[in-house]
Amino acid sequence: MKEFARPRLRRVSAAIAALLSCAALTCAQSAPPVSSTSPAFREVTDEVGRTVRLPQPVRRIVSLAPSLTETVYALGLQDRLVGDTDYCDYPADARKKTKVGGAINPSLEQIVALHPDLVLVTKGLNRLETVHSLDGLGISSYATDPHTVEEIITSSKKLSDVLGVPEAGASVAGEMQRRLADLQQRVGALAAKRVLFVVWTQPLISVGKDTFIADALRRAGAVSIVDSEQGWPQVSLEEVARLQPEFLVFADSHSDSASPAFEMLATLPGWSILDAVSNRRFAVISDAVNRPAPRIVTAIEDLAKQLHPDAFVEKPENGKEKMEKENLPPNQRPALHYPFSPDVLQDRMTTPGGRACAH
Amino acid sequence: MRPLTLRRLFLQCSILVLILLVVVVIAVKFGAVPVSLYALGRDLWHVLLGQRADLSSDYVLIIKNIRLPRILLGIIVGASLSVAGTSFQALLRNPLADPYVLGVSMGASLGSILALIAEPHLSISPALSSLLTPLGAFLGAGATIAAVYFLGRREGQIDSATLLLGGVIISSFLSAIIMFLMNTLSGNLRGLSFWLMGDLSTPLQKSAYWFLGIGFLLAAGAIYTTAADLNLLLSGEKEAMHLGVDVPRVRLVVYIAASLLTGLAVSVSGAIGYVGLIVPHAIRFIFGSDHRTLLPTAALGGAIALVFADTLARTIVAPTEVSVGAVTAVAGAPLFIYLLRRRLS
Repeated sequence: MKEFARPRLRRVSAAIAALLSCAALTCAQSAPPVSSTSPAFREVTDEVGRTVRLPQPVRRIVSLAPSLTETVYALGLQDRLVGDTDYCDYPADARKKTKVGGAINPSLEQIVALHPDLVLVTKGLNRLETVHSLDGLGISSYATDPHTVEEIITSSKKLSDVLGVPEAGASVAGEMQRRLADLQQRVGALAAKRVLFVVWTQPLISVGKDTFIADALRRAGAVSIVDSEQGWPQVSLEEVARLQPEFLVFADSHSDSASPAFEMLATLPGWSILDAVSNRRFAVISDAVNRPAPRIVTAIEDLAKQLHPDAFVEKPENGKEKMEKENLPPNQRPALHYPFSPDVLQDRMTTPGGRACAH
Repeated sequence: MRPLTLRRLFLQCSILVLILLVVVVIAVKFGAVPVSLYALGRDLWHVLLGQRADLSSDYVLIIKNIRLPRILLGIIVGASLSVAGTSFQALLRNPLADPYVLGVSMGASLGSILALIAEPHLSISPALSSLLTPLGAFLGAGATIAAVYFLGRREGQIDSATLLLGGVIISSFLSAIIMFLMNTLSGNLRGLSFWLMGDLSTPLQKSAYWFLGIGFLLAAGAIYTTAADLNLLLSGEKEAMHLGVDVPRVRLVVYIAASLLTGLAVSVSGAIGYVGLIVPHAIRFIFGSDHRTLLPTAALGGAIALVFADTLARTIVAPTEVSVGAVTAVAGAPLFIYLLRRRLS
């Protein structure tokens, strides 16, 4: 899922141009968007280097990826979101939006009927064909392409600017950075736990080293034992047994329950050769880790707390204590204190439609 | 065989054109976004009378820019696959032949994918490079049908069971290679799995429709010139030769033209199965198996079938779309089994 898939050749020259311009992405991200050409419209450069012409302000948004839907909510712009995909399930309110189909095969006519000012796409999930089709229909689309946690932050910030709410973006980014810095302080100096991030069990699929998920693992004081250039490599059990990860990591939408994935896996023949399986050393974190959106920080915190419980045992602060989502047996359970103030992010994202328009 | 009269050909074709029009109207009406035909007709009328400058932009975008191009693509691809199926059935004297069953579609898919992979490494102009996928698909289709043809020959005669088995084996071999390519090449080919199932959802550039349409007319026209010979060929290659048919020439023409049709269809829409199997059978059942009428009527029938299948694909779980290839396979595979059993008994 690292690139736009390209079934057809007609568009390949454009695709190559887009891919090449990715190289310039890092610069493009730090630079402010290209300034406006007319009062009602302005042109910005998206993260794959395309020039996007969009009306000011952007009033009607269609999101073609769950991560982008989450980001739009995090920025407090849910009222402008007029359509999203079948898979956009977070926050719960996002389920109620008009659906335009899947991320790979959205219905173009449904998108047209929603009269969007801007369609949000992400290179890691959507198809290049979709973008070209939208171009052909005269519908502006803006593509994001984050590959690291840092890029998720800059990407959200840049998107907030494109959507005309830079303050919300700065606040979301600041919050993410603050929480990541806190984590860094706690687990940065500790020896990283060697983990296997399980995307899929049959066949066993993990993540490559250049994905934002691998980066998220590093932020949580973990390192993936899989060292692949591919985005979503299929790995053999033998190789995993040779590398013996200290922990297995699963992503689940209900991270507070014991992992059905782990229980299933523990019964499979062969898996008991893994020390992590026989010792029941596993972590279940929020499936937010699969989405390059602000909520990923929560998943990183989840993981850090499960892998390095000692780093979180300390001076309880008054008031703002939070129960942890924890699946370890009680004797392994780390400190329950959550020394952060309830953050803007979580507030926004767990409150359907409500009190989110802080800006 | 009854003599061909223009009247009969004209009658059969006009019936099918009428059905095609009805299906097109249905396809225009139904979709993820409801469209009122009455309102559309009224607005069109007003535009014709000059009372309005233009249709509302919703109609223009959804009907003119999304549904009609897709219907047009369905017509061309459906007709191509159906004519290719009819030709393979005559050429191989096997009613179960179909570009998909014989592995020809898979060969065309592999050809397209190889062209896709090779394209960045070749320094050619964009205009030429857009022809590379159809060319790869054509070569893949041609190579596959040649392989299947030689596999299916035993002692100079085509053996039906060997032929079908050969097709199945080649098809699974080719799809294994495609799997291998998709697993090993990094990233970019993921969306291919969607395309491989058959997909008409992506609007093409205008020039592509011309390219497809003209390609179809040329290839189908070439096959039509052999229609009378194909009738004689049904009684056997030797028999046809005794009756004065230049069998090698007919074989070459039909083989190249049918590969071209399959290649064109696959390069824009992936491997859509069974259209080339169901439609010729239905048409033969209704209008008889004279290739001089069968070829044009099968073309129209293929268009009808695919536009209809695609309308289903877009609407059964709208706004999510099902691959049109899944719809045609669900309808076609049971028919294939029925025909196979009837043939064996």
